[in-house]
Amino acid sequence: MLTTALILLPVAAALVIAILPLPRELTAGLAFLAALMEVGLWIVTAARFDFEEGGLQLGTTEEWVESLGISYSVGFYGFSLWLTGVAVVVSAAAIGYALWVGRDRPRAYHALMLFLTGAVVATFAAQDLLLFYVSFEAMLIPLYVLVGVWGGARRQAATLTFVVYTMAGSLLMLASVVAFGVTQDTFSLLDSGTSDNTWIFLGFAVAFAVKAPLFPFHGWLPLTYREAPPEVAAVLSAIVSKTAVYGFLVIVLAKFPEPVRDFTGLILVLAGAGLVYGSLLAFRAPDLRGIVAYSSLAQMGLIVLGLFALNDLGLDGAVLLSVAHALISATMFLLVGMVERRCGSGELEVLGGMARGRPVFATVLLVAGMVALAVPGSVTFAGEFLIMAGVYEEGWGYAAVVALGIVLAAMYVLRLISAVLHVRPGRAVHDEALDLRPGELALVLPLVACLIALSVWPALVSQSSFSGDRPARVISEGFR
Amino acid sequence: MIAGAWICLLAPLGGALAITLTGPWISRRVAGWISTLTTFLAFAGALVAFFGLWSRDADDRERLSTAYTWLAAGDFQVGFEILVDPLSAAMMLVVSGVGGLIVWYSIGYMAGDEEERRFFAYMSLFVFSMLLLVQAGNFLLLLVGWGLVGLASYLLIGFWHKRPEAVGAAKKAFVMNAIGDATFALAIVLLIWSTGTLEFTSVFADVDGLSETTVNLVALGLLGGAAAKSAQIPLHTWLPDAMEGPTPVSALIHAATMVTAGVYLLVRAHPIFEAAPDIQSLAAILGAVTLVVAGLVALVQWDIKRVIAYSTMSQIGYMFLGAGIGAYGFAIFHLMTHAFFKALLFLAAGVVIHHLHDEQDIRRMGGLKSALPRTHVAFLIGTVALVGLPPFAGFWSKDAIIASALERGDALGWTLFVASLVGVLLTGAYSFRLYFAVFQGKPHEAEALHARARESHGEGPRSMLLPVGILAILSAIGGLLSIPGVWHPFTHWVEETGEPLVEATARQDYLVSAISVALGIVGLLFARRAFLRDRQLVTAPTAWRLFEHKFYFDELYDALFYRPSTALSNALRRRVEEPVIERSLDEIGSGTILASDGLARVQSGLLRTYALAIAFSVCVLVVVFVAVR
Repeated sequence: MLTTALILLPVAAALVIAILPLPRELTAGLAFLAALMEVGLWIVTAARFDFEEGGLQLGTTEEWVESLGISYSVGFYGFSLWLTGVAVVVSAAAIGYALWVGRDRPRAYHALMLFLTGAVVATFAAQDLLLFYVSFEAMLIPLYVLVGVWGGARRQAATLTFVVYTMAGSLLMLASVVAFGVTQDTFSLLDSGTSDNTWIFLGFAVAFAVKAPLFPFHGWLPLTYREAPPEVAAVLSAIVSKTAVYGFLVIVLAKFPEPVRDFTGLILVLAGAGLVYGSLLAFRAPDLRGIVAYSSLAQMGLIVLGLFALNDLGLDGAVLLSVAHALISATMFLLVGMVERRCGSGELEVLGGMARGRPVFATVLLVAGMVALAVPGSVTFAGEFLIMAGVYEEGWGYAAVVALGIVLAAMYVLRLISAVLHVRPGRAVHDEALDLRPGELALVLPLVACLIALSVWPALVSQSSFSGDRPARVISEGFR
Repeated sequence: MIAGAWICLLAPLGGALAITLTGPWISRRVAGWISTLTTFLAFAGALVAFFGLWSRDADDRERLSTAYTWLAAGDFQVGFEILVDPLSAAMMLVVSGVGGLIVWYSIGYMAGDEEERRFFAYMSLFVFSMLLLVQAGNFLLLLVGWGLVGLASYLLIGFWHKRPEAVGAAKKAFVMNAIGDATFALAIVLLIWSTGTLEFTSVFADVDGLSETTVNLVALGLLGGAAAKSAQIPLHTWLPDAMEGPTPVSALIHAATMVTAGVYLLVRAHPIFEAAPDIQSLAAILGAVTLVVAGLVALVQWDIKRVIAYSTMSQIGYMFLGAGIGAYGFAIFHLMTHAFFKALLFLAAGVVIHHLHDEQDIRRMGGLKSALPRTHVAFLIGTVALVGLPPFAGFWSKDAIIASALERGDALGWTLFVASLVGVLLTGAYSFRLYFAVFQGKPHEAEALHARARESHGEGPRSMLLPVGILAILSAIGGLLSIPGVWHPFTHWVEETGEPLVEATARQDYLVSAISVALGIVGLLFARRAFLRDRQLVTAPTAWRLFEHKFYFDELYDALFYRPSTALSNALRRRVEEPVIERSLDEIGSGTILASDGLARVQSGLLRTYALAIAFSVCVLVVVFVAVR
């Protein structure tokens, strides 16, 4: 029941907000309240979850279309509960940010954001392929509208690219979903066995590669991350991308052991290439959004490296880094949004010198930046280190690429920090550009606090993601 | 005992947090005192740990204390654990003791800076990171301390962030150190797969079972990290630039923290290096090359802090040399005495810079002997200790390392021996060049301007002069903790952790001392002659240019790494990302829009249509598939 409640709460709130003709502030406030209640509900759920026990918990299965083997089946594993946790936290921060800046047409906007949250949670909870597909698609519709209506100057082009890419991925996945369900005679992820059909595997893999995104399927990323409102970009890069991680884990790796074995080499190479490619582009990107967007591409490459290492170290590392990346990329996008609001631009050329007289902003950006570049001791470092150690088993070259990624991350994050904070104020930085307001601080501080808490104790997540902390065995047994 | 060690570790962290969180609610002065007192509290904790260890039997001086499991994945577990043994106890004392003096001094030095609180928070973070580094009980936690030291140095070198040079220097230091962190991390990964653990004692117990390739690679990775952190060639270029930070920061980086970390790692991981003798020798060779090259570059520098910075590189070279030939006790001993006299030199230089209103160019200094009499004495003690004239600290520690090279005896030993003697000659020359230029001769006319303004408060506040005085005493007598043929309490203490591979006899020691004192004095005389004739030490133009450009390392790296990676990034953006990947759908997209120009005019119409299209296509597909089935 809790799981269902966690899915339905934001959806119901979305409906209420869409219908009730409340004044602007009240609408946004109500949405934020609903998002906070969702966080509270997650905390209750996590308190009920037995992390020692592991395995699927808090599950519900209701027959839906019995003759087709379709059911409403939901539940959480350790790792999906963690992913859901960061998802609801990030979405609360994003909705809070929208409230703070006062987005236009708040009823439509907040209804869409809440609906999106519900869809993300449903995707992380789904134990039935068709339910997974429907939730996965349901995320897209609000995203199209959020980018297309509330985005920047080139929002149309951005939406178009995003639509075409994700639609292509979705169609491939739909074909695979149906084919898999038909051959297995059930859509349940719990009852179905494994498949060695390469084509079905490829349909899923490509869909998730587009969603993550993974190099070279990231054609939609630069424009979408630049044009989307910052809080929508935060949700996209922080949590929507993690549904791909979930898909890789419970569908691709667990259901297609044979094809995975055949394609591991190719996927690792693409992921490694994406890591280096994204880092290099982030290093020369001319604007803040570009740096954060491409660093996201690089980080997703890292996560996939960990997933396809297919050993305890890599898998735990991938989940840990997914959680950490969700928090850090949301923080970064929100901070970028705050800079853009003050300066009217995110071009590095016109920024600078913001540390002077803005101690709170400078401190928050520095801390977030240090976590983003994975300074040893941070939760991102813990994740990257596990991935590096895990992928070493597949070849020392991959571990070396991860090491290279660490150095490049230092280069592009320091460039961002200096371009915003240091030397003399840029053309766009005026004295009226204030330090973080208490409201803004209240939005980013919880994210940063989560990052610091996880840096002090990363084992909290890495130890409890899979039952008995044996991810490789759990996956080879198909999560049973 | 363990409680003392935990207090030692956590007190500076508490200080940093307290200053950060209270922010503007405490005065700047209070922030300074919080930082100072917590560092001295750490020193008290270190003393408790040290005496607790002291009172135990010699074979029972190793305690591992685990607070909790920091990171876990399957069988792999790493605890947040500290190791208290003779080596870490000695390092704790040096780091917190010298660190505390430097932080104390900063209260006077930074008075009036508009961001003092931030400064002291960073200083405390720096001390905490270094203590974590030396107390860590496993390699991963060591790497965490290692990385946090890099972070703190970045923050402090770039403290005056309005200056582009400071920001550039800070970034350079961080990236250089990140390279070292990366090789270090790779070495640890290798250890995980070959030994299954990262805890020091278990790893060292397993070293014999590793293949030669593995152990060589691990040692090489660790050496990469050590060279980056300790500014040894070829990863040294960040150190001289790091002088952009405030002077107490330079003292902290050079004396108590950071650059000594590499030496500590070589000694801590000595079983691994002993199993990879080639890599251990490589460490010694890097040290020898660095000590000579840095000595040569120091001959021609004009910036008072840069001269001292190059002398640090050179002295760390001695420590690498010592650790590389297995004279662990003496390497750590020299680390300690160096911490004393290098902190002294920097802090005394800070008094000079403070006195001259941030003037750092020695061409605009001179004759400060009369204006700053106490600083003059302190600086002279530091210089003599650095050059290694008896009975000052450097004499006892440096000569012991050189004697160990002599004792080693093979071709490598002789090469190292000769190189280190050349280093002594250079040290004498550049150190006294600096001393003469700053304190002797006639005052520079620029000084007169400052003199009147300064007269009221003499050489500086007491919080600056007291630490300098204490360090001067330590530099004068600190070396007496190890007298060849008489007693070696300090080195014997450390050698409980690292059994030395070479031990020079007292006779060799005194022979080496005689030679090196003679060479040091020759260096002094060179410097004096050049000074009296108002000429440079290096007169050959080619050599001058080479030294002036620091052997062209910066230019080389710029051409080899920075430019290619920038060019590659730009090329990827222009050739791949923009034309191929971003535009991939433009063609399709524009085609669609043209084909349905009705839609293109109404933006929300476009969106709604797409949303509908998706929903519709989903329904259709489902129906089709179901029907087919």
